[in-house]
Amino acid sequence: MSISFSVNGVVQTVGAERGDEMLLDYLHEDMNMTGTKFCCGMGICRACTVSVVKAPNPNAVPVISCSTALATLNGTDITTVEGVASGDDLHPIQTAFLENFAFQCGYCTPGFVMASKIFLDWLATAPVTEDELDDAIQNAIGDHICRCTGYVRYYEALRKTAQDVLAAKEGAL
Amino acid sequence: MHLSPRRQCAEKMDPRVDQYVTSAILPRNFFLDQFMVFASANPVSGGLSRRRFLQTSSGTVAVSLLGLPAVANSSQQAQIGTSPAGTPGVAAQRIDGVAKVTGQKVYARDFDARDMPEPWPKTQTYAMFLRALTTKERFIGLRTSALPKVAQSARIVLGNQLTKAQRSPQVSFRRDLVMDQQIKETRFVNQQIKEALFDPSPEGFDRPSAVVYDLIVQPGNVPDYLGQAVALLIFDDFKGYRAALQAMQFQDDQFQIYAPPDGPLPPKDQPFDPKTTYVKYDVDGEAFDYATANPYAYPHEADTYRGKIEARLASIPGLIRQDIQSDMRAMDPMFMEPEAGLAWLDPEKKILRLVLGTQSPDGDVRDIVSMYKEGDAPTPLDEVTLTSCYPGGGFGGRDKSPFSLMLALAAAFTDGRPVKLIYDRFEQFRVGLKRHAATLSGQLAIAPDKTIQNIEMTLQFDGGGRKNLSPYVASLAALCAGGSYKTPMANIYADAIHSENISGGSQRGFGGPQAFFAIETALDDVAAAKGWDPVDLRRINAISQNDTTVVGGPVEQELRLTEMLDMAEAHPLWANRAALKQDYDTREVNYGTGIAMSLQAYGTSGDGTVAAVLITPEGKLTVQSDAVDMGNGSATTLGVVIGDILGANADHVDMGCYTLFGQTGLTTKDTTGTRWANPDWTAKGVGSSSACLTGLHQVHVVQQTAHALFEATLLPAARQIWGQPDLVRSDVTWRNGALSLVDGATDPISLPSLATAAAEMGLPRGALGHAYFQNTWAEADFDLREGALTHLALDGVSLYEGEQSLPRRVVRQNGFGPDSASKRYSRYVWAPCVNIVSLTVHRTTGRVQIENVVSILNAGRIHVHDLVSGQSQGGVAMAISYTLHEDLPPGMGGPANGTWNLDQYHVARMQDVPLGVEYRPGARAQELHILDETPADKGQGRGIAEAVMCSIPPAISNALRDAVGKRYTSLPITPEKILEGLRA
Repeated sequence: MSISFSVNGVVQTVGAERGDEMLLDYLHEDMNMTGTKFCCGMGICRACTVSVVKAPNPNAVPVISCSTALATLNGTDITTVEGVASGDDLHPIQTAFLENFAFQCGYCTPGFVMASKIFLDWLATAPVTEDELDDAIQNAIGDHICRCTGYVRYYEALRKTAQDVLAAKEGAL
Repeated sequence: MHLSPRRQCAEKMDPRVDQYVTSAILPRNFFLDQFMVFASANPVSGGLSRRRFLQTSSGTVAVSLLGLPAVANSSQQAQIGTSPAGTPGVAAQRIDGVAKVTGQKVYARDFDARDMPEPWPKTQTYAMFLRALTTKERFIGLRTSALPKVAQSARIVLGNQLTKAQRSPQVSFRRDLVMDQQIKETRFVNQQIKEALFDPSPEGFDRPSAVVYDLIVQPGNVPDYLGQAVALLIFDDFKGYRAALQAMQFQDDQFQIYAPPDGPLPPKDQPFDPKTTYVKYDVDGEAFDYATANPYAYPHEADTYRGKIEARLASIPGLIRQDIQSDMRAMDPMFMEPEAGLAWLDPEKKILRLVLGTQSPDGDVRDIVSMYKEGDAPTPLDEVTLTSCYPGGGFGGRDKSPFSLMLALAAAFTDGRPVKLIYDRFEQFRVGLKRHAATLSGQLAIAPDKTIQNIEMTLQFDGGGRKNLSPYVASLAALCAGGSYKTPMANIYADAIHSENISGGSQRGFGGPQAFFAIETALDDVAAAKGWDPVDLRRINAISQNDTTVVGGPVEQELRLTEMLDMAEAHPLWANRAALKQDYDTREVNYGTGIAMSLQAYGTSGDGTVAAVLITPEGKLTVQSDAVDMGNGSATTLGVVIGDILGANADHVDMGCYTLFGQTGLTTKDTTGTRWANPDWTAKGVGSSSACLTGLHQVHVVQQTAHALFEATLLPAARQIWGQPDLVRSDVTWRNGALSLVDGATDPISLPSLATAAAEMGLPRGALGHAYFQNTWAEADFDLREGALTHLALDGVSLYEGEQSLPRRVVRQNGFGPDSASKRYSRYVWAPCVNIVSLTVHRTTGRVQIENVVSILNAGRIHVHDLVSGQSQGGVAMAISYTLHEDLPPGMGGPANGTWNLDQYHVARMQDVPLGVEYRPGARAQELHILDETPADKGQGRGIAEAVMCSIPPAISNALRDAVGKRYTSLPITPEKILEGLRA
């Protein structure tokens, strides 16, 4: 038996005996991808958030990679912060974080990027109004811990990007 | 002679006990003053040397700085410190932003040996330290049979396997010149006393009397503090390390063996030296204070003046005496990246290679060298190389952190293989430096006319097991105890005591948060008790230019506190507070508003900074700084502040270049005793990095060095191109990235064209500058071109020329600078801030919600507005968290037991912080008002990284008093305490 999943489109297969290993360790040690960050190691700070899609549900969900065993990831498609940009073309939320000086030390940023991207992808199809946006943002990134910024600029950047998504959605109607 | 159990054990185990004890209490390289630094040619990329030498008592060690490596499976080196050219002087985004937002390897934790360039081996070992569980019993050893199998195969190192230099390396503390002087004075006085008593046992500075620290406790000894290492385990690979960690975590008592002590326990609760005493008396023409008193007579005279203060107070009719009583728990900096690093001791080449993210690269390397350069070092060391990474947060917690020493120690036990040391969050809570727990008590004396007459305060900080920077923190807190106020009299004492607890460190605010809390809550209580307006009371007593602090030093900077209070008073959040409260009352919600102000100093009593500015023949600019960017944005700022001087922003910024000072040719040894007249001398080389040093100190040295480059390179090139040999700086200006004559008489020249011409003319391709600031800058004239002198606020300039990797020093002329005496002022520059806080209290849960914060800040020249407001916002969140949430109990009931993580330690999250940026009634916001710059600012910024947060905690307490009717002076103010107050 083996466990199979993809990371940023690259298929990974590991033996079932490694099922207890955490995804974060696998990313760091096996793939030498350290963009996903270790902070508390118990799923509270959300710095280690990655995006996971598991069929048949096409929607990505945030997963705490420090506390998620490989055994639970069979058949999933995982996206990490290294897989968000397309070459030099940054994702809109990455651009928004940059332009808004949203982060400082940046160690929590990959977690915010992933949670925000999942939120924005969801927002593109979800029935959320402008009035409901603040609560939705709170749900999306409200549990993430940042020690440097005081959250204000993360919130502003995500809200502005979310408004763009809502506007685009409205324009498409 | 009495020997503590600790020493008795040493005596039993070590036949060289006399030698052992003597060397432990008589530091070999006191302050490492003996370290001489000089540079060598060791070209690296860019053709510049990043190498220098440390001369120790046992030989010479080369130290080098390396950039982040290109990672093997990545197409290129992490693009950190680079930025597309933008509008000169304007930052469009963080210069380190793209690397961080795309997850590139930039933090020390990201790097493995496999990521490092040749000749690093591609595999690495892993280190794990086991931590002491008690300070009341002797550590006997490990019950290896109880260890999991995977740990039994690890290499186990106990304290008695370490050499003397490894066990107890000489740690340097050169944080603050006035404190260094104070230590010398204390030693002088002690020496006089001891000579009189024929006492042969002098006290050491780095350790309190009768306590000897070992990095790893020797079996048979009582640990000195909780969390002290008792064993080092080396694992061959990550798999084994991880398995052992999982099996051993929280099980320490299963395999650590302890036995009752065989004598009295080592003493605790003694203050670390030096202690700080500020007694000020300025009444009826009679003046006495620390700043101007004879240093050696001061301790005795202070006693006399304490009596005079009491007599004076007793004579004031109707004097109001307000007791001060505050206490606060320790706080974890909780930077997001737990400390991590990589080391490789190459015994063949005698090189120790380090990968670290530290706020104090210079000091860390010096300490590590002291470990390896003693006579009994296991491996002779010729060189240390440091790859200085961007830290994942700092807040002072990486300033002189013991982590670096522990990593370097582990490197000696891996048989020449690289070793990685990675704290997890449990271990970071267990051993990482903390903001000190503190108790503050005293009395505020105010005359019936509302003027402060005396501030009396005793501040005691729990320094924990290691001294670290605790006495320095206590000393600044003593200054901050004076608040933002003028007072004719003060009687302030501050110390940091040695305890079994986790060590305290510099931590954002450096004692200010504790001290401002005490004075600002006490002042509010006076106002409430007397029915005085709290703003009015503050305005009457606000300190201003030409007043003196409680230290006695003059305030020589424009503060504008009364103007700030006026603004606060007029703000609707304050002006309408009664109506707002009434409105909430009708909804059965407790609502309160509080105000507080702070006057946080930035810098130390003397700061040296160094920077290089370089230009390529294509006109690309690079800034190099000794500073470390902990996330505060200093790299971004330093990259754009040259824009107006050189016509473009830096394309590249290198931080953590701690070897630069070695290239200046300057020394801190004043062998001639002529100070600034000696062109080789400066008062201080460089110090640890602090976010509050960017706005003034780091920017200054970069800008002045940019001016030097302009005068030495760009202006001569312009003269040549325009054929105007008499052209001077004031004749030209930058317009749209091109140099133009002010009168517009000729065609502008683009920066690339100027740079190309300069290269063809063989003009310098870079400048290196060193600056020193005390109460003023050191200044001098420099012959940068053809005999014409250029006056700069620098005390050292060198020029990079031709293919030479080392710069040519331009010997300063006509140098002058601050005198020695003024360092006794303690601090010289200030970042005033007034905060208004409004909050609501949930009556059944006791939960406090911060509704609005209005911050009024004097930040001087704003270099990058987004970074300044970001620092303010981060400060607001951290202060809210400190005041209401963060709680670290002492002893084994707290994080020292190794079980603490974010499930027990609560830091502010998004919902705890107002996210709006503009005040609107009924909505939550934090509104920042930055005063417009005035001519008195002279174009200089202020270090504001700590400024906003310092007066948030007392403003919250003052608001709670308004909301609940109870004064809270014990931090954190938990819901339980709130409910207790509501019930009362």
